[in-house]
Amino acid sequence: MYEEFLEDIAQKNGLREVNTTLKLITGLGAIILCLLSTSYLPPLFIAVLLSVSVLFLAKVDPWTYAGLFILPFIFALMSIAAIILLTGGEVVFWSWNPLPWFSLSITRESINEGFLVFCRMIGGMSALIFIALTTPMTDIFSIMRLCRIPEVVLDLAMMIYRSIFMILNQLVQTYQAQVMRLGYGSFRESIQSFSTLCGAVFIGSWGAGEDLIKAMDARCYSGKFAMLGETRPMEVLPVITVALFLVLSSLVVVLARDLTLLGAG
Amino acid sequence: MSSIILEARDIRYRYPRGMEAIRGISFHIRRGEKIAIVGPNGAGKSTILLLFNGMIRPDAGTMLFDNEPFGYDKASLRMLRKRVGFVLQNPDRQIIAPTVYQDVAFGPVNLGYSENEVKAAVEGALRYVGLEGFERRPPHQLSGGEKKRVAIAGVLSMDPDILIFDEPTSGLDPSGSEDIMELLDELNTQGKTIVISTHDIELAYPWADRAILLLKGKILQEDVPDVAFGRPECVRKAHLSMPTLLELYFELQKRGFSLPGRKPRTVLDMLNVIDRAFQNRPCYTEPGSITVCNVDSEGLEPFRYWLKEHPDLPVGAMGTRAKQLARDHQIHLDFTYGVIDKCILKALLGENSAIVTTGSMISRVSKRVDDFGKENGLSILVSIFNASTQKKA
Repeated sequence: MYEEFLEDIAQKNGLREVNTTLKLITGLGAIILCLLSTSYLPPLFIAVLLSVSVLFLAKVDPWTYAGLFILPFIFALMSIAAIILLTGGEVVFWSWNPLPWFSLSITRESINEGFLVFCRMIGGMSALIFIALTTPMTDIFSIMRLCRIPEVVLDLAMMIYRSIFMILNQLVQTYQAQVMRLGYGSFRESIQSFSTLCGAVFIGSWGAGEDLIKAMDARCYSGKFAMLGETRPMEVLPVITVALFLVLSSLVVVLARDLTLLGAG
Repeated sequence: MSSIILEARDIRYRYPRGMEAIRGISFHIRRGEKIAIVGPNGAGKSTILLLFNGMIRPDAGTMLFDNEPFGYDKASLRMLRKRVGFVLQNPDRQIIAPTVYQDVAFGPVNLGYSENEVKAAVEGALRYVGLEGFERRPPHQLSGGEKKRVAIAGVLSMDPDILIFDEPTSGLDPSGSEDIMELLDELNTQGKTIVISTHDIELAYPWADRAILLLKGKILQEDVPDVAFGRPECVRKAHLSMPTLLELYFELQKRGFSLPGRKPRTVLDMLNVIDRAFQNRPCYTEPGSITVCNVDSEGLEPFRYWLKEHPDLPVGAMGTRAKQLARDHQIHLDFTYGVIDKCILKALLGENSAIVTTGSMISRVSKRVDDFGKENGLSILVSIFNASTQKKA
């Protein structure tokens, strides 16, 4: 397979052997702080710290990391444009009334608000990507069990996780076989090939499901699924680092609470 | 002779709305045997294997385990499947869980073991197949051979009496196949009964105690491999080909050479046959010696230092764990399969060699070498590596 998945990066990242709970606390803590922040500075501060740790501690390839931000970035720019144009304010820089009941304006307050939302989003994204790149799904399963997620849901999640990669593999193989026999030559053919691809993969996954039941039966399935609990202890240095990160970020949130991009809130 | 563990009496089976896949088959398997079920595609090999652990129920006839007819209620089937472990052809179909640990633990957890027992069973099984340290890896990142070994560990952790393998080496490279076949041998020396299905005759011939040739849902021939594979008309009928060594033996025989009665199963055996035919002596120099290093008692560090003093000494490893440890200690391995025979071949050329292996396998080395020596009036020295041999050498 050619693609590299986030999961694959997470499986071999530099922070793989750090206690899962710690990593989740870091990521979730960062998201909460970004949301609580009333100023643009703390989210940027958090984003920088998390990016540095992803790039230098987890040793993720910088281009891959940058690539992950592209889509949310485009999305953010679009929504911020809307926020800036629609939010009103005291100091008006530009305004336009195309219709009597509809006006667009750029004000000091709207720029402040837009920039804050943008920074929150960057901070939140970097926290989410931090979790995605440092904590593989397989580790999150054991935390989910600790959080009392119902067994059925969890077992299903684990089987789905396992199946995704198998079905994806089949999808890639079938697709390649079609391309090799020129299946995507014209638009008409593409439609036809795509529909047979879907059909083949559906039948394939159906078969895989039946085999899964057989495999489980052959190994005495009685409704239980094993779980490898967290075996990596919370070590002193990571705990101190995480605590320091959260305290420092909270401090910035408090100290910078009145700071806005263009002054006056 | 040991007791019969699995028996089929006149079994018939027809797939729903399909043709009859098994058409009246009877045979038995004894405890501790190595059985190869051989046949062309579509002969019913996989179907027969599925009968063994009750995955399918025969339309007629009786299957017996330990001389008791199979029960097909849920509780009996669970008991049966605990004792008859089944390894599917495609490990991707067998591996269920998102991590290696969870998959290997699947059976034990469902059998109701306590947490510590599960842990011990998983650790034992993973060590056995040489996958220590793979606990947290997701299966989709493993190689074909590693996946196969995870699948085997998943069955081993339930400690079955019989292990059934459907095409154990399909999709593996030659070295991966050899590793798996040696693992099967190793399991067999631990007292497990092993049944494999294959159409690779070269693989089954030296390995099996007994071969069952299958064609169109019927048994064509059932005997020791050199008889089962030794009849050209049978082999041709089953769309197979005769093992090269056996064919060579028969060709020599047709040319009027006097050959030993025992058919050759390995290159060493064949060499022996040729020596007899041409009245050569098996060895023209002082035979070399074989040094055996026990990874359980000595550890590999002193052995590695000793090897540094003997840089050209060929080294073989026997047993999955020994191989794994040797690789971990960066010991270069010259042989990983048929190790004893290869070392004897070296000794016959007057060269020394060394074997890395686990404690339980050492007796096999000395027995094989002694047997060979007695048969040929030779004595090849087998010494166990320890600090004193280190000094002496």
